[in-house]
Amino acid sequence: MSQSLRPYLHVRSSLTAALTISNFASQASERHNTPQVEARDSPELLLNPLHISRNENEKVFIEPSRNSVRVSIRIKQADEIEHILVHKFTRFLTQRAESFFILRRKPVEGFDISFLITNFHTEKMLTHKLIDFVIEFMEEVDKEISEMKLFLNARARFVAESFLTPFD
Amino acid sequence: MLLLDYQNVLIESLLTERFSGYASATPVSIDQVVSDFDGVTFHLSTPESKSKILISINVKCFKELVQYGAQEVLEREYGPYIVSPEPGYDFSVQIDLENLPAEEEARNDLIMKLALLKRNAMAAPFERAFDEFNKLAEEASQYTSESAPQGIKEGGEVMAIHYREEEAIYIKANWDRVTVIFSTVFREETDRIFGKVFLQEFVDARRRVLTLQNAPQVLFRNDPPLELAGVPGLSTKEGEVSYVTFGMARNISTSISVLTRAVLFPRHLTAQRRYENISHIQTFRDYFHYHIKASKAYIHTRMRKRTADFLQVLNRARPENEERERKTASGRTFRVQG
Repeated sequence: MSQSLRPYLHVRSSLTAALTISNFASQASERHNTPQVEARDSPELLLNPLHISRNENEKVFIEPSRNSVRVSIRIKQADEIEHILVHKFTRFLTQRAESFFILRRKPVEGFDISFLITNFHTEKMLTHKLIDFVIEFMEEVDKEISEMKLFLNARARFVAESFLTPFD
Repeated sequence: MLLLDYQNVLIESLLTERFSGYASATPVSIDQVVSDFDGVTFHLSTPESKSKILISINVKCFKELVQYGAQEVLEREYGPYIVSPEPGYDFSVQIDLENLPAEEEARNDLIMKLALLKRNAMAAPFERAFDEFNKLAEEASQYTSESAPQGIKEGGEVMAIHYREEEAIYIKANWDRVTVIFSTVFREETDRIFGKVFLQEFVDARRRVLTLQNAPQVLFRNDPPLELAGVPGLSTKEGEVSYVTFGMARNISTSISVLTRAVLFPRHLTAQRRYENISHIQTFRDYFHYHIKASKAYIHTRMRKRTADFLQVLNRARPENEERERKTASGRTFRVQG
């Protein structure tokens, strides 16, 4: 892990603090439990949102509320290729949102992928392990994207050389 | 399978089967439509008797090919076998199984020749360009570079083969080189970006690898290259491309200049290699697109695996205290009374 990544991953402590959520029925719609961070019907239930940025292209946005937390991640995209790979990968993940429980089907605007953690998730699952998952995701996704990019370049190079060799 | 084959494998295997089985077994009738790259269709049938196989080919740009001398090339290759074209097809040959060459080798050659029907049909403009190049090079050698007349400097006409719906090959002979230009349209953003990566490597390969110094120079650009200036139909075609696809697809032209071997090597070598080079350059588009698709498929499987890994990490967050069925020592189970 690079040195500059280490402080970035202190997202963990902010996330731990944000995830102190509990059941809270809506005050507006017949006491149904709706994730307040999404419904936004009572401003007193929303806490201060938090940006953690490594640089302008890589940032995490944590929006805490009384009974839910929304975490959005912007993945590094240095060029066109990385952009398309990130797009493909996040699309791939969101299409499987059903099995990912905490994955939001649509990312928050300006970000590539969002997670919505509600009190039901923290009740059924282990909170620190959920945080582990988010951190691991952040670590791995960059690695995966750059590996895919390297693979693409290597393949292109090999393919081009093989095509041109018979001419020689 | 890194490089694509030049011949049509299905035709090859069909004919091999018929030819080898002919002596022992009774002939069977065939009626098969075979597709090839670039929308080419073949039709193998036995319309008259079971021993006479008719092979017909349908090429989208056959008219253009004939204009550039395809008929002569095909006559040279398939002389005695040519019959009048089957309705709906452009060119037909008929093989009589009772009249096959006696030797094994000659029979295999014939099979290969028939499987290369598409390659031979498409080869005509390339052959013409190479001939023209030889002529121009000879003429040019009589002049110094300053005094060469304009006609020789500029080279021959541009031959356009519209071999696909929106894509074309342009071939032009000059006194010092033959230029082959492929125009490719990418429908999808991903394809366009992947294509760019691949094309960039084609451009750089020659510079990077020492052993590829003699390979043709590859260039690519999004606007029509200078060689195509004044080609009729190009400007309207360009407009159509951007119109139909609403600016999504770009027209990336790859110009592959097949550099002159005549300068570098003795003449006989050129003639020998010419055949190989024509076959090889024809596969460029299919090869290029094939590898884009293959990379996409690989990246897809990779993402699938990575997603499974992530899911595993997430599942660690779920406590494993699921209720198991409890049994007594005698094997009886508890049941909750409803």
